Amino acid sequence: MLLKNTYNEFIKIVAKPRSYLGFGALTLLIAIIIFAMKADGETIVSFITASFEQTLAFNGKLVNGNLIAFIILQMLVVHIPLLVALVTGDLISGEAAMGTVRMLATKPISRTQIVLSKFIAGAIYTLLLTIWLGFLSLFVSHLVFGAGDLIVLNSDGLVILQEADILWRFGLGFCVAFLALLTVATLSICLSAFAENSVGPIVSTMAIIILFTIIGSLDVTVFDTIKPYLFTTHMASWRSFFEDPVPYDSIYQSIIVLLVHIAVLIGITLYKFNKKDITS
Amino acid sequence: MKKLFLLAFLCFSVLSYSQTANAVIDKINAKLLAVKDYTVNANINANIPMIKIMPSNVKIYFKQKDKFKIESKGIVIVPKQGFTELNSFISNKSKYTAVFGENAVIRTIQTRLINIIPNEGAGDIVLAKIWVDVAKSVIMKSQITTLSNGTVNVDYTYGDQISRGLPSVMKFEIDVKKFKIPKSVASDINKSSADKKKASANQKTKGTITITLSNYKINTGLSDALFVKKKN
Repeated sequence: MLLKNTYNEFIKIVAKPRSYLGFGALTLLIAIIIFAMKADGETIVSFITASFEQTLAFNGKLVNGNLIAFIILQMLVVHIPLLVALVTGDLISGEAAMGTVRMLATKPISRTQIVLSKFIAGAIYTLLLTIWLGFLSLFVSHLVFGAGDLIVLNSDGLVILQEADILWRFGLGFCVAFLALLTVATLSICLSAFAENSVGPIVSTMAIIILFTIIGSLDVTVFDTIKPYLFTTHMASWRSFFEDPVPYDSIYQSIIVLLVHIAVLIGITLYKFNKKDITS
Repeated sequence: MKKLFLLAFLCFSVLSYSQTANAVIDKINAKLLAVKDYTVNANINANIPMIKIMPSNVKIYFKQKDKFKIESKGIVIVPKQGFTELNSFISNKSKYTAVFGENAVIRTIQTRLINIIPNEGAGDIVLAKIWVDVAKSVIMKSQITTLSNGTVNVDYTYGDQISRGLPSVMKFEIDVKKFKIPKSVASDINKSSADKKKASANQKTKGTITITLSNYKINTGLSDALFVKKKN
């Protein structure tokens, strides 16, 4: 019954025009970024290497498909949550707004299974969006720029990764990025259980992400104790796969924090939906 | 009369020392200029603060007087100066004045320091110091200070091409000023603000790039077209 209802929920997502907004926006954004990098990629790279170039010379193909894919991921992982929340924030509240929640609850399926099927359908949508992001950023940018070593800038300095040592990092990076987006999807589904319209959960999800991101990016000692518990802090942990050596301990910690967030948010959603008054 | 004699003696002494330093440089130049061009395999191992890069194998092409090209599969980091500047600079005697400095022992080899002071309008180089193995007419160590890139120290080790003055290992010591990382790019979830400040304070300012050269192919008649930069 759970699988059948999940299928139905996924059909509902597919039938909504807003579900294609995410794919369309991603395609357009990535096309713009690739065009911009093709036109002026050297300037972007010189921004990264500028402080080293007084003493050192960088030889080789710096602007390549791997760098473009990394830049795209870096730029879009911040914005994709909005595209995810646009769909998942509507999953429960949309039913309430249209008045179909009562009909749904009369089906021979428990309320817990209804929530879980919506969660699984939302997760599949998020996964498809992540795969589309991966395909466009890696495949298309490789097609346009070709392969090459990846130059990554982090707070420790520059890390230059060899071409043969990159693809697995992108693979695992996308897995962690998916987990981060799944946390956003779960948050919006959770907020959706509290609302009677779609706009509220979508806007609230983005407001929470913006607030947490600002707290996380402020380089102030007083926030150092809070930062490790904010899910937005761990949304960037896909980047850790591009460090050398890879800090697996901090990645595991991020995965645990994100999974705990997902479990707690699902728990809250289940509690709220099971208690929800659908008669009035 | 005594004073005049003393002055003449001093002038003669300085002149003779200067000539001797020039003579040593002449011998080095003669060796280097006999090599019209070369191709060599190189292994570049960079150990630079704030940069992590694996050692890489490249091919280096050189043609007199200052044509230089590195061919690599991936990204490599090389010193901005130090490959051709010194040879090019010392080959033009009108650009500098060379004077002997003190003796020094480098890796058990007795060397003589030559200070090369650029004449007015000589360009970017402010001062060059070379430690020369006078017996074999090869540079064992150099220190070049330029206006644009600061000071670069290079240690030379020689192998089977010592007769042509071509090294088998070049070790560059680079003075890397405190690199500044753009904050907007360098978000790091694994470090608190205190960690970042501590790391910044402990940052080293010296780095080394070791280039091991092997399989020299000398005077094969490299074409100028090889050194023309291709657009990506």
